[in-house]
Amino acid sequence: MKILVCMKQVPQKDAPLRLNESGTWIRDDVSWETNEPDAYALEEALRQKEKHGGEVAVITAGPARSQQVLREALAKGADRAIHLEDDRFAQMDAANTARAIAAAIEGEAFDLIVTGLQSDDFGAAQTGVLLAEILGIPHATIIIGIEKTDSGLKLKRELEAGHYQHIEMTMPAVLTIQSGINKLRYATLIGIKQAKTKPMRKVAWAEVEGKLSKHVQKIEKLYVPGSQKKTRKIDAPAGEAAKQLVEYLRNEARVL
Amino acid sequence: MEADVVIVGGGPAGMACALRLAQLIDEHNASGVDEMLSKENIYVLEKSREVGQHCLSGGLLDPRSMKELLPGFEKEAPLDAEVTKESVWFLTKGGQYKAPIVPPPLRDHGNYVVSLNKFAKWMGQKVEEAGITVFTGFAGSELLWADESRDAETACVQGVITDDKGVDKEGQPKGNFEPGYELRAKVTILAEGTRGSLAKELIGKLGLEDPEHAQTYGVGIKELWEIPAGRVAKGEVIYTLGYPLTSREYGGAWIYGITDTLASVGYVTGLDYQDPRIDPHHVFQSFKEHKFARRILEGGKMIRYGAKSLPYGGWLTMPRVYGNGWMLLGDSASFLNSQRLKGIHLAIKSGMLAAEAAFDALLSGNSSADTLSEYKAAVDRSWIREELWPVRNFHQGFEHGRLEGFVKAGIQQVMRGGNLGPDAKNHAGYEQMRQLDTLGPADADRAAMVGNAKGDGKLTFDRLTDVFHSGTRHDEDQPVHLVVQDLNICSDRCTKEFGNPCQYFCPAAVYEMVDSAQQDGAGGSAKELRINFTNCVHCKTCDIMDPYQIITWVPPEGGGGPNYDGM
Repeated sequence: MKILVCMKQVPQKDAPLRLNESGTWIRDDVSWETNEPDAYALEEALRQKEKHGGEVAVITAGPARSQQVLREALAKGADRAIHLEDDRFAQMDAANTARAIAAAIEGEAFDLIVTGLQSDDFGAAQTGVLLAEILGIPHATIIIGIEKTDSGLKLKRELEAGHYQHIEMTMPAVLTIQSGINKLRYATLIGIKQAKTKPMRKVAWAEVEGKLSKHVQKIEKLYVPGSQKKTRKIDAPAGEAAKQLVEYLRNEARVL
Repeated sequence: MEADVVIVGGGPAGMACALRLAQLIDEHNASGVDEMLSKENIYVLEKSREVGQHCLSGGLLDPRSMKELLPGFEKEAPLDAEVTKESVWFLTKGGQYKAPIVPPPLRDHGNYVVSLNKFAKWMGQKVEEAGITVFTGFAGSELLWADESRDAETACVQGVITDDKGVDKEGQPKGNFEPGYELRAKVTILAEGTRGSLAKELIGKLGLEDPEHAQTYGVGIKELWEIPAGRVAKGEVIYTLGYPLTSREYGGAWIYGITDTLASVGYVTGLDYQDPRIDPHHVFQSFKEHKFARRILEGGKMIRYGAKSLPYGGWLTMPRVYGNGWMLLGDSASFLNSQRLKGIHLAIKSGMLAAEAAFDALLSGNSSADTLSEYKAAVDRSWIREELWPVRNFHQGFEHGRLEGFVKAGIQQVMRGGNLGPDAKNHAGYEQMRQLDTLGPADADRAAMVGNAKGDGKLTFDRLTDVFHSGTRHDEDQPVHLVVQDLNICSDRCTKEFGNPCQYFCPAAVYEMVDSAQQDGAGGSAKELRINFTNCVHCKTCDIMDPYQIITWVPPEGGGGPNYDGM
């Protein structure tokens, strides 16, 4: 199986976030890490390769720092990497990110493309689905189990409230992977060393620019909501306080 | 895995060592010799997830060693500001007094305000560009011995084992378990920082410390503040002595202007205080409440937090720094000038000199103590000794309080470092701690430093709020990495004798005494120790200051720990 994993670099989960000067996104001086659902997508791709043979390629779109994500993936066992490297890739909307990825892998016939179901920063959950659309292949989202069959794939999707859906699909396909589908492996010393010599193809902005169109989504303004917590203390004997509380809940808060 | 050289610790010492070694090998290979040396099997192990994330300093850089290592480094290194002005202040509870002149050791013109995190990260890039592999997220967990005799002349180190990954809290392997690697190396270089866990093992086992000169330490607690412009200038350096510490404790504060609106603020408390109730984090918080600091910080915002211990002892407490197959660098080996409050430049220089000895060992194929003794000889010939020898008695002078300390420092200045008599001994700081029944209740003037700080959430903070700002993360399902030899001592002897000082000296609220299921003698419930290891910022204060010396800090799973980005 020839598998592509689409990965993204996002701010580290506990990083203290601050707004940038223009109030359109966060400041860049945070630590970065691999988007968690993408890490699970990579792990799943590596496991499929270990079972069925083939190749795992990884791709990301972002500035120079995002190369770290690819290096870690190579260290864990991916065979090669593609880096759409430009600062401008960081602020693209999901549709253009999908177009850029599609352009970068033109001519490559992947059997399977996997990515995390959404990013920890924007959380749009669109790029994978849009990529399938652009490539003209089927997709399925929130995948929590993958089994390759003779004719294609048997998949388990995680729905809400503990329900699952079992579907079958043909390949090639795009799957967006749910966190927790597997247990992540550690990079090994030998893996880290070998990663240095694995191929890393860089794709410049100019190479894909022609395939992009106007951003249809843009963040106009980002702000920290002011605290709106109001506390009222009912100071009365228990029976009286209970009465007042019910009155409040019924007439003012209107939740009863 | 076979290695030529393994450097444990990717701070300024370790990175300088790797870089110098790469330079020497490149020069050697370019000189047209037959036998080329390879950099392929030279490795740096760094326990943090990315280079620099566990590096913390005030930080001021004396550029002397960097100028030697990379001439012209100023043009590309991340230096925040050149020091433009400095002042020294003495604080009393309500007052502030400016020293009429800045004492020569604290004159900082020509030095740079740096973020050691960014600086180490930059050095790490240089090392990788030079062709040396840095393994981040891997700690050195154990030493590999070729000869394990407890004698520095015969014992021989031949590498390290890295940390096991994927072990659960009961010590059982998880599904993704990866055992640690045995990295067999011709030369093993320990650059783990203050009280390195392998360095501690090595020093203890081989008796490398002079029994008359135990290492002494301080703990530095730092916050990064965004402040309104006009309060501290970019490149301004302020030192204070005094409040909230009294004349009985050793320590002081710093405020450095990184930009006109960003300041590094911190307080170092000597880990040789007597009162077990002292909380160095509280000391720092109280300092910020003093009008001197309040004027600078009020209305600003604390954005990062961190804590790190530092070796104070200087030249006389330097352990033996070489042996068969091993060398010790930087803070792990006391390369710090406590009078100037600077160690980065010495750490770098120690790394460079060790690299030269390691290069000789690779070239000759002989990494015995004989070859590596050249490292110590080079230190003795270098300006490291010139700088540290004259201040060898500085910190000991303060053992009996501040007044005597200043008198002795004055005498030493005249005597070129000597006392009126022999050199003063160094006593381990934890030995100074006094039992509660000899102290009596803490009086009002000690309220500012004993017990944990509550914090107002604006200018001052409790420890948990601060720890949150250190970005610390550990996988919760792993063995506790703060190994207490005998928990009964904690709940019994220590409670009675010292009142469990671990609750106070840890700047990350790792240690907590909680109600246990057991009854105490009086019919109430007894207390037992809870170790919140996931808070640990890897400062090693507990390992240093615990009065019974029963806490051992061992590296947790690689990648865990604080994240000192921008610090």
